[in-house]
Amino acid sequence: MARKPRDNEHTCPHGVSRRGFLGSLGAGAVAAATLGRPGETAPPEVADAVEPSKVTLLVNGRRHRLLVEPRWTLLHVLRERLGLTGSKPGCERGECGACTVLIDGVPRYACLTLALEAEGHEVTTIEGLMRGEELGPTQQAFAAEDAFQCGYCTPGQIMAAEGLLRAKPAPTVAEIRLGMSGNLCRCGAYPHIVKAVRRAAEARKGGGR
Amino acid sequence: MDVPVQRVVRPRTLDEALVMLAEQPRSRPIAGGTDLMVQLRDGRRSADTLVDLDGLDLAGVHEVDLGVEIGAATTMDAIARHPLVRRRWPALAEAAALVGAWPIQCRATLGGNLANASPAADAVPPLLVADAAVRLASPSGERTIALERFFRGPGTTVMAPGELIVAVLLPAPSAGRVVERFVKVGPRREQIISMVSLAGRAVVSADGTLHDVRVALGAVAPIPVRARRVEAHLEGRRPDAATRREAAARLQADIAPIDDLRAPAAYRRIAAAVLLDRFLEACHG
Ligand SMILES: Cc1cc2nc3c(=O)[nH]c(=O)nc-3n(C[C@H](O)[C@H](O)[C@H](O)COP(=O)(O)OP(=O)(O)OC[C@H]3O[C@@H](n4cnc5c(N)ncnc54)[C@H](O)[C@@H]3O)c2cc1C
Ligand code: FES
Ligand code: FES
Repeated sequence: MARKPRDNEHTCPHGVSRRGFLGSLGAGAVAAATLGRPGETAPPEVADAVEPSKVTLLVNGRRHRLLVEPRWTLLHVLRERLGLTGSKPGCERGECGACTVLIDGVPRYACLTLALEAEGHEVTTIEGLMRGEELGPTQQAFAAEDAFQCGYCTPGQIMAAEGLLRAKPAPTVAEIRLGMSGNLCRCGAYPHIVKAVRRAAEARKGGGR
Repeated sequence: MDVPVQRVVRPRTLDEALVMLAEQPRSRPIAGGTDLMVQLRDGRRSADTLVDLDGLDLAGVHEVDLGVEIGAATTMDAIARHPLVRRRWPALAEAAALVGAWPIQCRATLGGNLANASPAADAVPPLLVADAAVRLASPSGERTIALERFFRGPGTTVMAPGELIVAVLLPAPSAGRVVERFVKVGPRREQIISMVSLAGRAVVSADGTLHDVRVALGAVAPIPVRARRVEAHLEGRRPDAATRREAAARLQADIAPIDDLRAPAAYRRIAAAVLLDRFLEACHG
């Protein structure tokens, strides 16, 4: 089934991000090219058999009211409806951790979670760890330790680290390895990732959070 | 990627959930979703309506007269950390700590592990050696059946459509010096399904002989199995080298592994013998 833009309920609370800006530019260009009349809206699509539900999702401290189809995963809604593309699709079967977010502070694979299941819970994504324009302490620790190469797994790694440190503020190296074992890194940055988690634990102890 | 379902309903009570399962055609319960979400995408299971069990208050470990009752929605993480479970059913706690990785453990439920009925489900061998029973609920009432009679084959159980697992009952373990272990093999410790798993428990007498021996294995037969021949052979014996060799030989008649993508049957036979030996070594020590 094709994905339909049906988020008329959803008002984007974010400012214009670079990605969002480029995204709308692209869509505009396509519309202009195919319809020849910029500004005209796309023809209405045939109604889906599946009723979308009106839900309120609490993501990074903001309430989003939006229409969600039962078959959508939280990962899909975060990325495609809310424009929060920090959470990455990898295996989409609960094995790699690229999609890790926090739900009520606990790491959760967004690919194995239906968006509807997230209603009534507090969702935190990598974007939610920012302190305004500054990186949060766990993010800073990953940057400082060079805990990535390509960076694709990194948002998930950081969310797993954040969840681990919220549950265990002073983990041993063994506990870090175990706590982070649900996040794969194809670039093999593991030694630096472990160091970054240790650094983040230190930073948080010093009032980072 | 989408999950091909049309409706998700979120009942607040067990009765509501049972009614929804009975009334909605092609409905299926979902707990942690760690098995079901993947299977729905792969087309290995299908459903129009998912009945989300999250709001049902089925989680928790409760002491009861005869032992302990673990709610179906209790997560592996909660089981692995529970002090009473760790003390009295250490194999179960250890198995729970080896289900997937931590994010999986925070979601994967005991009820889901049983209902999914994988021959490799890690919680099952420890529950078999604990002589566990499963409490089921349906619109017509509740029933309790021995876990050993719960599975029918890979992916199938004795549950009727619309029936739910409510809890798992663990009778108090026998007194004395008990040795209990859970061991599994796979290419990696985390995130993988067991190639072979084994839970063992025995009461070790002062003279070193074993009593009330129970051994159960996963991924070596269409359903998780008790190794009855091994248990009978070990009863009253000391786990010396000769006894262990004989036990390993008898084990081969208790299991019926197959070749699959995770391991060839021949490998499983050897691995099962090695795991049994590790347990017996622990009893010897
Ligand atoms: C990466 C990964 C690694 C894994 N590693 C392991 C492992 O090492 N060992 C292991 O044993 N498993 C493993 N699993 C499988 C899975 O996590 C477990 O089987 C888990 O316990 C399933 O529980 P759940 O709550 O997620 O079940 P769900 O996926 O929600 O449900 C599974 C099935 O049970 C049914 N169901 C759920 N609850 C009930 C109930 N109360 N009554 C009746 N039916 C019910 C559902 O309808 C469904 O058919 C792994 C899975 C993944 C994705
Ligand atoms: S994309 Fe979710 S775990 Fe791999
Ligand atoms: S940094 Fe490339 S996958 Fe981890």
